[in-house]
Amino acid sequence: MIGKILIANRGEIAVRIIRACREMGIETVAVYSEADRDALHTQLADEAVCIGPAPSSESYLNMQNLISATLISGADAIHPGFGFLSENSKFAELCEQCNITFIGPKSRVIQSLGNKSEARNTMINAGVPVIPGSKDPIYDAQTGAAVASEIGYPVIVKAALGGGGKGMRVAQGPEEFESSFNTAQKEAQMAFGDNTMYIEHFVQHPRHIEFQILADEHGNVIHLGERDCSIQRNHQKMIEESPSIALTPELRKRMGEAAVKAAKAAHYTNAGTIEFLLEKNGNFYFMEMNTRIQVEHPVTEWVTGIDLIKEQIRIADGKELSYRQEDVHITGHAIECRINAENPAKNFRPSPGTITDMYLPGGKGVRIDSAIYSGYTVPPYYDSMLAKLIVHAKNRNEAIRKMRSALGEVIIEGIDTNVDYQYEILNNPDFISGNIDIEFIENMSKDAD
Amino acid sequence: MNLKDMFKKTNARAHYISLRHSHPEVPTGLLRKCNKCGAAIIAEDVKNGYYICPKCHGYFRVHAYRRIEMIADEGTFEEWDKEMDFANPLDFKGYEEKIESLKERTHLNEAIVTGRVEIGGHPAVVGVCDGRFMMASMGRIVGEKIARAVERATEEKLPVILFTCSGGARMQEGIVSLMQMAKTSAALKKHSDAGLLYVTVLTDPTTGGVTASFAMLGDIILAEPKALIGFAGPRVIEQTIGQKLPKGFQRSEFLLDHGFVDRIVEREELKDVLAQILDMHSAGGHASYEPAQTEPEAAVEQPEAPVSAWDRVQLSRQKDRPVGTDYIQALFTDFMEFHGDRYFKDDHAIVGGIAYFHGIPVTVIAQAKGKTTKENLDRNFSMPSPDGYRKALRLMKQAEKFGRPVICFVDTPGAFCGLEAEERGQGEAIARNLYELSGLEVPVLSVVIGEGGSGGALAMAVADEVWMLENAIYSVLSPEGFASILWKDSKRASEAAEVMKLTAGDLKQLGIIEQVIPEPENYTDQNMESVCTDLDGRIARFLNEYTGLGPSELTERRYDRFRKM
Repeated sequence: MIGKILIANRGEIAVRIIRACREMGIETVAVYSEADRDALHTQLADEAVCIGPAPSSESYLNMQNLISATLISGADAIHPGFGFLSENSKFAELCEQCNITFIGPKSRVIQSLGNKSEARNTMINAGVPVIPGSKDPIYDAQTGAAVASEIGYPVIVKAALGGGGKGMRVAQGPEEFESSFNTAQKEAQMAFGDNTMYIEHFVQHPRHIEFQILADEHGNVIHLGERDCSIQRNHQKMIEESPSIALTPELRKRMGEAAVKAAKAAHYTNAGTIEFLLEKNGNFYFMEMNTRIQVEHPVTEWVTGIDLIKEQIRIADGKELSYRQEDVHITGHAIECRINAENPAKNFRPSPGTITDMYLPGGKGVRIDSAIYSGYTVPPYYDSMLAKLIVHAKNRNEAIRKMRSALGEVIIEGIDTNVDYQYEILNNPDFISGNIDIEFIENMSKDAD
Repeated sequence: MNLKDMFKKTNARAHYISLRHSHPEVPTGLLRKCNKCGAAIIAEDVKNGYYICPKCHGYFRVHAYRRIEMIADEGTFEEWDKEMDFANPLDFKGYEEKIESLKERTHLNEAIVTGRVEIGGHPAVVGVCDGRFMMASMGRIVGEKIARAVERATEEKLPVILFTCSGGARMQEGIVSLMQMAKTSAALKKHSDAGLLYVTVLTDPTTGGVTASFAMLGDIILAEPKALIGFAGPRVIEQTIGQKLPKGFQRSEFLLDHGFVDRIVEREELKDVLAQILDMHSAGGHASYEPAQTEPEAAVEQPEAPVSAWDRVQLSRQKDRPVGTDYIQALFTDFMEFHGDRYFKDDHAIVGGIAYFHGIPVTVIAQAKGKTTKENLDRNFSMPSPDGYRKALRLMKQAEKFGRPVICFVDTPGAFCGLEAEERGQGEAIARNLYELSGLEVPVLSVVIGEGGSGGALAMAVADEVWMLENAIYSVLSPEGFASILWKDSKRASEAAEVMKLTAGDLKQLGIIEQVIPEPENYTDQNMESVCTDLDGRIARFLNEYTGLGPSELTERRYDRFRKM
């Protein structure tokens, strides 16, 4: 039985986990770096252990120190939160070796899902759709064209050693293929000294749709519906909502079943998330599985009424899921906005510093998950997320209004935040009508220029 | 009141008692302590990470068999002389028992493992000292195993790679131990005389009689970072001279600075570096070079307004003019730089090493100006010290041993003029290069790419052919110096430049050089392409012609070349 948990994280997620433990009567041990002596999680937990200097490589990523802190404090389990060591199979393995319960999947599952090609093959074998692509490397346009027509246009040609958009070209149709391929290959040769190419179906204007999974150690796997996380900037999510306006009940059922199939194929246990790209025509493709709790988990909690952190702990303790698939009902609509210490006018430059004054909204259907308080100094070493503002209402329109109202009340003085930027998104006609895809923010800032 | 004390806590119990049957604990062997930084580290990480501390990047000592695994192609190691008879030449009391117990504990038969391996597909003979066995001190068996391995390598025409790690002579064997130094060195001399390659890899610690014999005799000497390498141990030196030794004394980096180590190689790269070295020595330089398909001898375009000699002097000194290292990068592949003169210093004014030209190994040596002030200070503005010329000569002699052509890039205002340079024999060093180069039995090409300043330039230009870039200069002295000697007025340098005949065109007419390489206008490292394409073709043609000549023909022609002047 888990009676005491060490939380190997900081910030609002550490606070969130401490709260769940409290409700379950479980004792908590916080760990903190020298820069986090005054952090809320350090103060709130039953005990706190300093695990090293400010840089995360020496503290929150320091596996040996975390293990030592667990042994010294006598905790039974470690909750890794998200980020840091949460998806580090090595750390999970170390916990297993030291007889410490790692609240998450088994280390070998983390490892195999972390390996892109292995995960892709698992999904193909399980019949979960993946983005169709060439299996073998391609070196000439002629072979490429044949593969491309098999895959289906539009296609994207990618350099095997590619990165940073170099050696990458989209071909909308067969007439463009040869020139696209040759340009990409030439670029690849110049940039990486290698002309090995791959071709894959190009998913145009997709939405980022992810499914929340819960799986216990007795073979039960359920999904808790989707989250639409299309509003993202440089792959950083900004706004998440559930349910997605783009999913019909029929599509939700199909995608949910695929997600469950994916989790089963990976022998997954605990809470996890299957990320899909959803095309306008309703085709969806597996991208990856996140083997941890997500930042945006509260939106799912609100529409399903299930406390995901508590479920995580129960599963890790060997208990059976408290819910069956038919018990899961999506009620109303939830939206989350991430409040970050950053300056949107200065290319979202992080803005650490002391919060001189603050007021956060409340009221019916408004939830704040945060770790800030008046007088708190945001250290420059870590992620810039300060708080998550989550609202819940009967439907999407009401949720949007509620979010606008709540954002309008947020006051954080002393540092820059993205609150006004979020407010702008909430007033954007395309966002309001639900006409969004993963390029939304990029297009919005283009329009602004 | 502290915030912490204001929050109510979960449980009022003073001590949590876990209700689980088994409690968390660290299994033995999972963690170990770094003996350098003291951090707790995961033993598995160390094993999978080349025995390097993941925290402080300190190097742990590696057992001989693990070392061989780390560098050899899988399954290629064939051990030699695994069984050797024990000998106790001094009948030293307790020696045999000590050896027996060590054999049992380490599963080694002595302090060195020898045999044949393949590295990157290239066969080689290796010997690896193992510090667990009496600190790998050299007794008769160690000396014998090395001598046998080297003799067999000579017979089978194989290169030898020795990993050193040793406390030195083995006291228990007294004078017999001392003789192993001579024995191993003699075996290596025969191996070298047969034209074969010997590489040493110095690891922590390499001291005493091992340093003073086989460790320092490599054609190429590599070292692991921060390894202690020296003849006398630091403690002994401190006691003798009664002084505290400086930090970093006798470490690999210190030896590199002092010219005794060619290269410090990180453990992760060691296999690749060894494979490349073996590859570079697997074929001689006597191969045919396909000339690049370019127009032969692009005619020097006559500039519309003739450029004055003084203008060319200034062009040759332009700050953004390509420097030696630019040419090395543009014309050759896989350049591997080697350092040091093996006497005193590694002079950064000269950069040298082995690279491939059209896939065939050549020795490349360049006088290297820097691109920034910081770089220029490090490279002493390309004014070589005697140590630089001695490094160049060492690399040239090495090229001769392995039949590699030598390509030099000349770019110096002159040999360094200073106290230390004279103390260490600047004149002797330059003279020695002229003397040795005249008889070097491999093709030598020198290209003056910027300033060819006096004897400092000539020390790298006693070649079969000397070429110049269109705006390079080559002279007995700088125009400033010339004017001040002849006219006692260095301000008349521009006038001096006109009468000195120091431009490429003039020198070609005088028969001092063979070829002039045209340059584009405003020549910088951004528009090197035309020059490099041109040079590439010319060098290929040069090598094709000269590698076809026998050693005596080559040196005879070179003799005549200067005899005529």
